[in-house]
Amino acid sequence: MNEMSQSLLRTQAARVSWFDVATRHRVALATLAVLVFPLVMPFTALAVNILIYGLYALGFNLVYGYLGLLSFGHAALFGTGAYLCGMAIVHFGLPWYAAIAIGVVAGLAMAALIGVLAIRTRGIYFAMVTMALSQCVYYLFYQAVDWTGGENGLRGINVRSIDLFGMRLDFLDPMTRYYVIAAFVIAAFFILSRILASPFGAVIEAVRENATRARASGYDVTLTRLITFVLSGGFCGLAGALQALHLSIVPIEILHYDTSGIVVMIALLGGMGTFFGPMIGAAVFLLLENLVSLWTVHWQLIVGAIFVICVLFFPAGIWGTLTSRGKR
Amino acid sequence: MRSEVSKSRSISRRRLLATVGAGAVTAASPFRINLVKAEEANIKIGFPVPLTGPYGTEAQDQVRAAQLAVAQFNEAGGLNGRKAELVVRDDKLNPGEAATRTLELVEKEKVNFVVGSLSAAVQLAINNVTKERGIIFNSISQSDAINEAADFSRFTFHEALNPHMTSGAVGRYAFSKFGKRVAFLTADYAYGHEMVRGFLEVGKAFNIENLGDIRHPLGTTDFSTLLPRILALKPDILCISNFGRDQQIALRQATDFGIKKTTQIIAPLLSHASRVAAGPQAFEGVIGGCSFYWGIEDKFASTKAFNDAFRKMYDGKLPTDYGALGYGGVRTVLSAVKNAGSVDTDKVITALEALKYDYYKGPQYYRKCDHQSVQSVLVIRSKSKDQRNESDVFEVISTEEPDEAHLRSCAELGHKA
Repeated sequence: MNEMSQSLLRTQAARVSWFDVATRHRVALATLAVLVFPLVMPFTALAVNILIYGLYALGFNLVYGYLGLLSFGHAALFGTGAYLCGMAIVHFGLPWYAAIAIGVVAGLAMAALIGVLAIRTRGIYFAMVTMALSQCVYYLFYQAVDWTGGENGLRGINVRSIDLFGMRLDFLDPMTRYYVIAAFVIAAFFILSRILASPFGAVIEAVRENATRARASGYDVTLTRLITFVLSGGFCGLAGALQALHLSIVPIEILHYDTSGIVVMIALLGGMGTFFGPMIGAAVFLLLENLVSLWTVHWQLIVGAIFVICVLFFPAGIWGTLTSRGKR
Repeated sequence: MRSEVSKSRSISRRRLLATVGAGAVTAASPFRINLVKAEEANIKIGFPVPLTGPYGTEAQDQVRAAQLAVAQFNEAGGLNGRKAELVVRDDKLNPGEAATRTLELVEKEKVNFVVGSLSAAVQLAINNVTKERGIIFNSISQSDAINEAADFSRFTFHEALNPHMTSGAVGRYAFSKFGKRVAFLTADYAYGHEMVRGFLEVGKAFNIENLGDIRHPLGTTDFSTLLPRILALKPDILCISNFGRDQQIALRQATDFGIKKTTQIIAPLLSHASRVAAGPQAFEGVIGGCSFYWGIEDKFASTKAFNDAFRKMYDGKLPTDYGALGYGGVRTVLSAVKNAGSVDTDKVITALEALKYDYYKGPQYYRKCDHQSVQSVLVIRSKSKDQRNESDVFEVISTEEPDEAHLRSCAELGHKA
């Protein structure tokens, strides 16, 4: 019996594809990719943007891909994190780590607020309500000129050095800035991976697959949705806070519904409901935008055409298509 | 077949000999040093402007004019043979993108200076990135905030006008001529608000009566609900503070409503590109301000020289207001480099502060406390007949000479004496 099961294991092990390995060690793999990433990018600031938008899309994907709710208001979560982190530094002179923490808490709080108001709606109504609420947030920050700089944006989020355990890192150095921000992104990878692997993660997917059955099995569907939305807010808030530190400004455009739309495109392009999809989507999207706009002013036309082709021929997204090949 | 082969070989051998010969001559000649130096380190000027988006036309003109300034610097021998180079990037009229692009310019392209921007928010974003890294930034678009102590740094220069100067000049002209009853139609964002603030401040001296400020959101296409309200107020002057497409549509509909029969319409800023796009009827008789108009070439030799050089480089085209700013912004920096004899930031700052220049519109200089370029403001009227060419769209009806009294004082801006 023992021998039989062992040989069974062995044959299974032989059949283990690269895909299974990738899934099992997804955090390690992502970490490795993130570490070498800036070396292959045209410039470091773009690599940092890709990390940040990847993290933002990761948070969005938790709601869209895993929970199955399409939110058109994620800019509010991203932007609130950025603004609150920035304001903590500009108006209160707090250290950078406190500002990041405030950004995350702000993302969680804003998600809780929007979530409580929107979570009972479904489908297109959820998209509409989240979009409407995020527009309210936009005007709130837009009008609070003394706090946010309004139209001109929030300036002066100047962090020159990162003091860590007696070490002083030069935050103006592009590579240092990249790796400091990468450390937070990797931590977020790890936390997300744990959430998805936990029983709660299974419940999230159960709600997506069949809410009625999940409810019949004794799970509180509304509460699950709300908690997932709030968690997503935490990731997006962290992404926003890192964006504020990276660019040293927060433009009002960050709260614009365009920012909500971009993340949907990134998630679709990379592959919704996949772990690596959002990061790959962000990389492809921002890289394309960057390279094509260097070459022609009609970059939107070309990026748009590529996006349409992707949606038509790879509906599962880039990573989604790759994994379905890997499974075969 | 064989003869062909040998033929081609003989050509290549000849070519090889020629190349080697030319190389040897170059190596021996005095040009060699210049060539090698030029390849070693160009003086790089980063130039982020919104090539895509609603101000694309203006931005492309800025690039053209900036390229002219660089070409002139290089033709004159550069900095002891060191050439200048313009590194253009599209900021997409988005402050976040502008900050990213500026990081690229500074960190990867290792630019020596940054000149550019075409929006208040974008220039503040660029400024924040450059001042942190000790890079000189010369802004070529309007903003009041960039002069204020909170955003200013000694690396910050402002070649463009600011809303305070522009609305001041237009207000002083209009309020003394057309009456005291003033109504406002304003785009509801920072640009509009800053302009109205400027008009009201100037208006105090003329005891104008503010009949009301009617605001419209950005991107309004139908003003027909607002215009009857303005007609009912019976103003002497209607002050329309918006830009681009909003301005074109508002002026066209105001003309259709017959407002011009009883009221003088003024606008703080009349954009050359907008006027050309909208055609003569909508803008007819409208009075506004601008920083540059090619027509002042009769008055200033520098304008004539700039226009001629621009015409020569771009098939007879004439530069626009924003184009001229691109030229001025780059040329001042390069002149300062030449005067300083180096690209060292501190030396160039000192040289820029000392600069008294007349490059395209008459005398200018950078004020010491906020590095705002003290310069003339032109008050112009749009014309619909007697056009000499397709660029002949305005007539200059008044010029406010350069005067620090028309700027907000250094103390008011928060600068310590």
